[in-house]
Amino acid sequence: MIRVGIIGCGKIADAHAEQLIRISGCEIVGVCDREELMAKQLYERFPIKHYFSDVDALLESAKPDVVHITTPPQSHFDLGRKCLESGCHVYLEKPFTVTASEAEKLIGIANASNKKITVGHDDQFTHAAREMRALIRAGYLGGPPVHMESYYCYDLGDAHYASAVLGDRNHWVRQLPGKLFQNNISHGICRIAEFLTTESPKVVAQGFVSPFLKRMNETDIVDELRVIISDENSMTAYFTFSSQMRPVLKHFRIYGTKNGLVMNHDHQTVVKLRGAKYKSYLEKFVPPYNFATQYMGNAVGNIRTFLRNDFHMKGGMKFLMESFYKSILEEAPLPISYREILLTARIIDNISSQTNAQLTSKLPPS
Amino acid sequence: MNMLAASTHSIIGRSDRILITGANGFIGSKVVETLLLEGFTKLRCLVRSSGYMTNLKKIMEAYPVGAIEICEGNLLSRDVCRRAVEGAYVVYHLAAGRGEKSYPNAYMNSVVTTRNLLEAMGENGKAKRIVCVSSFTVYSTARLKSGEILDETCSVEDEPHLRGEAYCYAKVRQEEIFQECVKKYHIPSVIVRPGVVYGPGNKGITGRVGLSGFGVFLHLGGSNRIPLTYVDNCSQAIVLAGIKEGVDGEIFNIVDDDPPTSRQFLKLYKKHARGFRSIYVPHHLSYLLCYLWEKYAAWSEGQLPPVFNRKKWFAYWNGNRYSNRKIKALLGWKQKVPFAEASRRYFESEKQQGVNR
Repeated sequence: MIRVGIIGCGKIADAHAEQLIRISGCEIVGVCDREELMAKQLYERFPIKHYFSDVDALLESAKPDVVHITTPPQSHFDLGRKCLESGCHVYLEKPFTVTASEAEKLIGIANASNKKITVGHDDQFTHAAREMRALIRAGYLGGPPVHMESYYCYDLGDAHYASAVLGDRNHWVRQLPGKLFQNNISHGICRIAEFLTTESPKVVAQGFVSPFLKRMNETDIVDELRVIISDENSMTAYFTFSSQMRPVLKHFRIYGTKNGLVMNHDHQTVVKLRGAKYKSYLEKFVPPYNFATQYMGNAVGNIRTFLRNDFHMKGGMKFLMESFYKSILEEAPLPISYREILLTARIIDNISSQTNAQLTSKLPPS
Repeated sequence: MNMLAASTHSIIGRSDRILITGANGFIGSKVVETLLLEGFTKLRCLVRSSGYMTNLKKIMEAYPVGAIEICEGNLLSRDVCRRAVEGAYVVYHLAAGRGEKSYPNAYMNSVVTTRNLLEAMGENGKAKRIVCVSSFTVYSTARLKSGEILDETCSVEDEPHLRGEAYCYAKVRQEEIFQECVKKYHIPSVIVRPGVVYGPGNKGITGRVGLSGFGVFLHLGGSNRIPLTYVDNCSQAIVLAGIKEGVDGEIFNIVDDDPPTSRQFLKLYKKHARGFRSIYVPHHLSYLLCYLWEKYAAWSEGQLPPVFNRKKWFAYWNGNRYSNRKIKALLGWKQKVPFAEASRRYFESEKQQGVNR
């Protein structure tokens, strides 16, 4: 039986608890929030043994094997270190840490403590993401990727909703180097990082404040971001984050020398892009028909998965948790490599520093 | 002479400071306006951010400079709470978390904030009363038969986390911590529970009438009465609850006279605001659907979240009647805007918003 503790009882902790209670062989032995009332409300709504307002009390009394840290990212490093050094494995919500240097140190501490750590990139483990990965591993692309496109957009909603999110000048999201986008893009960046072959990709980022936010007198929150990422082996990638673009895409497109694939996270579809062309007018008739049958196949597959009761909104999180626990119990490989975590952190660091420099250069001289 | 002054022995003077939390909200801004109309001259309005005061700005432009003092901050900060309650004789506590689909957000912005505010009031020791603006959502009507009257004596949900509504859970727990803290700090208090507050600025049709989002509007209310209260009428009741002497410790439901049935309201809405297709779902069928959804949500371990369930059906579509006898008897409240005029204003606003959309 794996004994799990949760630190931080906000919105994402609910998703963790919902998935944890679905995993056989694990129990939530304690939850902790420095605001005791928040810990109490989570404890009250789920089968949880104890609640705490002090991390040391959680670690000493509940004695968890794994701690899920679901606090704002500014506290990830210190809490992660404390838990690792106390002998616990750690599941850290995204973004892993505030900076890449913190990420490197934390992974170093995990290795030194002989404990394991992972990050909440659960979108990498949805049905569609796993199907796409299986196709790539089976050689569908015809070799390493040539180019990738990752869209990870975010709907700020209407002005009223946005004001509730952005109205608090002291909100922790505003204290991140990349502010709003840093709290969101790791899901989209890690998809690219998974396939990059270099440790130091070249990153060119262009970020700006959308007219929507400018109308709300926001001047320093980048909500439109376009990035080009390339590695020394001539593999390239585009990354797009947008609060205004419609539809609100969460797509990943990957192209090899032979074929390509398109994965739509929201629709949970994977579509094959055939590289070879048909002769003459057949190229106008056969591919559209192929696409139609593929989309129909995706729809039928999704319905089947739903009827099998295996289509939960956060099903990817359950898969990631189970894989992480398996890696702990059976000394199996980690579901997310440390290399992928670090590459993701480095790319986000790079994007933040470039967009912050762009914002600074636009400020009027003091 | 204004209506409230004629009927009220106030516990405070017109120049005593009043704090309104959630002052920029749909109801909060109307409470501010009502207090100004009553001649109160020192209103401290707590807002999360001064950059987003769309409702309050209009009011500030129409009233004398200095009557409204803006206090910016979040009630999650104890410093903000101390600053906000300093020198306040009456507090109208309207700030709350809607939560949408998030229980923790709703809870944090309703329960933790209420605890912080009352702790600050306990330290300050000056307040003559705090009014907690709760909601009809806290009631459990599972033990009421269809057609029976829901009033202040009815029981509150004992397992609010099973309603499938973050707002209900947060409001029930907010009332609990409110009662606990006012007792602990000896703060005179009143709780008000408005029904469905409507008026210009509040978009859409209440779920008590039916549900959109399934491709067609499902009309579930049928012949049920909707506990409507027009925002002007509601804010008058809230203001009275804060200043009327002799009502400490009371709980008041706020609902207008003779609310329409769901069917009547929907018909009027379609005629005067915008037309759309709707399907009537009979009561027994809607109950069965809620029951099946509840069972499936449990069996499937939340593949469909338990947003429809029997608790919710009883709360929304059981078909109860509502009483406003207590606010009339103890607060001297009278409905200022009749339904015909209130609905005309509301439908006009809905129509305009539809045009803008």
